[in-house]
Parts: sequence; structure tokens; C-alpha cells
Amino acid sequence: MIIGGGHNGLVTAALLARGGLKPLVLERRDVLGGAAVTEEFHPGFKASTVAHVLGPLRASVVEDLDLKNRGLGFVEAEPRVFAPLPDGGGVALWGDAGKTAFELRKLSAPDADRYPEFHRSLSAIAAYLSRLLTLTPPDIDRPLKGPILPWLGLGMGFRGLGREDAQRLLRWGPMAVADFATEWFSTDVMRAIVCGRGIHGIFGGPWSAGTTANLLLQAASADGNGAGSTVQLVGGLGSLAGALTAAARQHGAEIRTSATVERITVKDGRVTGVVLAGGEEIAARAVVSGADPKRTFLDLLDPAVLDPDDVRRLRNYRQQGMASKVNLALDSLPPFRGEVAPDLLRGRIHIGPDVDDLERAFDDAKYGGISRKPYLEATIPTLWDSTLAPAGQHVMSVYVQFTPYVLREGSWEARRDEVGDAALRTLEAYAPGISRRVVARQVLTPLDLERTYGLTGGHPMHGEMALDQLFLARPLLGWGRYRGPLPGLYMCGAGTHPGGGVTGGPGANAAREILADLK
Amino acid sequence: MKRDAFGDAVVNTIAQYAPNIKKLILHRQVLTPLDLEREFGLTEGNIFQGELSLEQLFFLRPVPGWARYRSPIRGLYMCGSATHPGGGIMGAPGRISALELLKDWKKGKVA
Repeated sequence: MIIGGGHNGLVTAALLARGGLKPLVLERRDVLGGAAVTEEFHPGFKASTVAHVLGPLRASVVEDLDLKNRGLGFVEAEPRVFAPLPDGGGVALWGDAGKTAFELRKLSAPDADRYPEFHRSLSAIAAYLSRLLTLTPPDIDRPLKGPILPWLGLGMGFRGLGREDAQRLLRWGPMAVADFATEWFSTDVMRAIVCGRGIHGIFGGPWSAGTTANLLLQAASADGNGAGSTVQLVGGLGSLAGALTAAARQHGAEIRTSATVERITVKDGRVTGVVLAGGEEIAARAVVSGADPKRTFLDLLDPAVLDPDDVRRLRNYRQQGMASKVNLALDSLPPFRGEVAPDLLRGRIHIGPDVDDLERAFDDAKYGGISRKPYLEATIPTLWDSTLAPAGQHVMSVYVQFTPYVLREGSWEARRDEVGDAALRTLEAYAPGISRRVVARQVLTPLDLERTYGLTGGHPMHGEMALDQLFLARPLLGWGRYRGPLPGLYMCGAGTHPGGGVTGGPGANAAREILADLK
Repeated sequence: MKRDAFGDAVVNTIAQYAPNIKKLILHRQVLTPLDLEREFGLTEGNIFQGELSLEQLFFLRPVPGWARYRSPIRGLYMCGSATHPGGGIMGAPGRISALELLKDWKKGKVA
């Protein structure tokens, strides 16, 4: 039985069913996909309301579940990133590093000279780290137990990186992404684009230690391209849930929506099933939670069945949300200064002019406030799928950082509109007049992400992607192998290795471990 | 200019906790990061000869590949806070550096 029909829960269900088990997925909402959903937020306008770019999906998940033949259309948006400049025009980064370097030359010769090596080194290191993402982390108590071959392979791979890249890998992980970006690039905008990737989904600014690790992990989930990854789905990210559901059902899984799990039942120290809101009890050999660690262990389980030390460790697990979403229905394309061609807006639009501005955005949140000038990452999905809005009109999906879950003053119910206002005010500086083109807007604060989408604390990644909460320490040291502290209890969500992002990685790794135990 | 303003800020901060302090000051010396650089030779005024952050510790101090007290130039060694285990008045970098240099010396590898 799987709690939560988010993309990871569905991946786990489909892979377990494919492996011969008969999983039952219980989803609280009436739509599947979790934070990877596409919803109509205004009549005629559809947005991928929470996540708006794929991780991308792990290739083995796409292949094992035959997702390409289930109607999934992948869009590799180009340019991958466009960063408008405050006084008009902007910088575009493409999948082709040579093309990017060529265009960068108009902005800065030193940055153009450095870009190919940045792209090459990041790609090499990402390719190496990507091997780590598919592994189940070692057992902290018995690290030598289990197959040793993958670890030998990793050791060989590390040597294969060569001296320079190997040293870079060791050095970069703990670094503040501002230091990392400054080492590579001299222009404010290139530094800011790199920093944006480091702080994305992190309760920290560019000067926070370990933000480069976040960038490296994202690069490792994708192709390591210097421009990052911008893979989209035709129909929005919600199409993924449809394809995964079809795969899961075809292999024999059962999926129920509007089924709220209220409690995980335990008998004689063993998990026995769940109780739904309304009282229905369902027994199961194993319960797999796709929910975040705090919800799973502090909310759905009776804390009395856990070791008090573990309860304390769970409370210390850092899971405070920092981001909001503002989904805009527009009657026409945003009017970016300097007559920016619409083709340049197909990828991620980075709004954050320099390192100082990004750090100040975090400063506000550090003291419990909403960023006055937030970091934004926008996408305009109607540029590659016109069915998402009425003819000629557009959807702009805007990820807004920082908006702390815990506000020092006021409440999110009362302050929701401030987030929409801050996002539009920030956009106005680059696209004057955009506010007049807004037909409707949806604002999802960290509290909404918690209440509607079940992300405890509003954290989009099920917990900080920081060095102390990664790999064998995700969610806690000793719980890094998808098995909970009680027999029969498993985890498959973004609160397990390799963490957040629409990749299916945690779900696939968890399915492998569960099959090994139950078959 | 800024030096004195900073001295005032420090005294005012202490005065919040020990209000009497201003009357007790006979003389004050203010050493800013620039003074630490000029007078004490601490480049950029960093008191530990470089940040004590994970990417600059142990085998990464001062930079990867130079962490064994030897520099890339034969006969040139390092023994300061910029080497493992870093800053603080403990003499540890100096001691380990001396041991490493002696090892090389006995093998005739120094000169």
C-alpha cells in the first residue's frame, strides 16, 4: 500500500506492480500527481500549479514504464534559460555550449572564454554524481554489508574524472554558490544565473554554505549542461501522472483518489495497514509512504511507537518552506523591455539581476519577512502548448523565492496577496505593463502548499537539500535505505535519497528495495 | 575615518552592557582588517590565513594538492595557519610542518 499519489508514489506503485506485487495507492486529493499537477486555475487557463519543470525524469523510469508510448510528449525547451537585463534585452543560455559562448561574447569576452570549460567540467562531474543517485545509500551501522561492486565502480569513476575535476568535486560541494559563481564568471547576470540554481528550493542565500551542492545535485539529475535543464511535458507536468497511472494500472496496481489516510496502524511493533478518514481500515503487508518525513512519522504515526530520540531528530529535520507560486493568466505575452523575441522565452526565465539582490531576497526571509524583491523563475508553457490557454492568451507560471512558512508578522491568510504583488512589482521592472495584461492570478503560499498539496511546512523538496540531509542522512542517518524504523514501513518520497525534483528517482530506488524485501 | 567610527561602535556596544566603560578608557587602539594586513602581514586581514570552511580544510588547505606542507616548488614549505589544521594559537600547523620537513631533510630531498 502506498500513501500519496504524487509522482514518486505512482512510480513506486507502477514498478512494484511490474515486479509482481499488487499495490494500492491512496491519494487524498481528487487529482493525482502531488506537486507535479496541471490544474485549471482560471476558466480556460491551465498551469502546472506547483512544480513547472521536470527534474528531468530518470531515463530508466521512462524506459521501464514505457512512458513514451503512453502519450508523454517531452519538450526540450530552448533556450534553456533567458535572463532579462534590467535595461532591456537579456542573456540566453542554450543547450549547445558553443552557441551560448558565442552569444555571451556580446556581453563579456572573459565569460564567453570561461563558459565552455564551465560546461565541460560541470557535465563531467554531474555524469559521475548521477551514478550515485541510482544507488541505495549504504547502511550506516553496517557499511560493508551488501554488494560492494557499485562502490568499487564509484571509486574507479572518481579516478576517471581526472585530477582537476576530482579536486573540483571535493571542493565545490560545501561551497557557497556565490563563491563558486564568482570564480567562474565576471558579469553580474552570469553569476546570478548560477546562484539562482544553487539557492533554488533552499532556505538559504547565495552566501549560504553548501548551496553549490544543490546545484551539483540538480546537474546530476539532468545532463550536467552549463545552462541547467529545462525539460517540459506537452499538456503540462500533470500529463506525467496520467502516464504513470496508466502504467501502474496496466501492471495491476489499484489507485484510489479522495482517500485520506488518517493514521498508519501498528501492532506489536509492526506496521499493519492504515485507517482512512471516515473510519475505513485497510490491512497491508507493507505501507510505503510517499508523504514527507514530518507528515509520515510525526502526523500519521503515533509518536509513542517511535524512539524519543528519533522523534527529536525528526523535529530537527529542516523542512521550512521558502517558496510560493504565482500563476498568471495573461491576455498577451509579457512585454519584456528591448523587444525580446517570444522564442527566447520558451525556457526558464531567470529574474534576479545580481548576487547581492538574491542575498537580500534571502535576508528578508531570514528575519521572517517576505522578500521585497524576490528571486523569480518563470515559465510560459503556452509558448509550446497553446491548448493551455484560450487562443492568443498565455499562462505565466512564476516560482517566487523567498517567502518563509513561518512569518514573524501576520498570517499567510492575511498576507497572501503580498506575494502576488511582490512578484508583479519585480516583473514590472523587466516587463513594464505586465500587470495590465493579467486576467487572473493564483497565489500559492507555503501554507497553501501545505494545506492543498500536503507539503509539510510548505517545503517543495520534502526537506532541505543540504549536506546534512542528503544521501544516507536523508531523511535521517540510519533511515537512508527507504525503510522506516518499524518493520513493514517504507518511504518513497522526496524526503529520501536523491531528494526533490520531478525525477522519479526516490520512487524508483524505493521500489527496488521494497521488491528485494517482499519478493 | 571609518577606523574611528568603528572604534566608537565597539565602545558603544560594550557600554550597553557596562555603562561605565567610557569613563575608564585611557587610550584606545583600533586595528581594522587593513591594519591587520599592513602591520601583521595577514593578507586581506583574514585572521586565520583563509576561511575555515569545509572547502578549505584538511586535504583542501590551502588548496587541493598543496595540503602536505610542501609547495609545488622544491625547497619551499608552508607552516602557517593556511595549512592543516588551520588557525588558532596552537602551534599545530608549525609542528606538523616541521616533522614533514625533517622527513624530507633526512632523505636529502630538501636542498
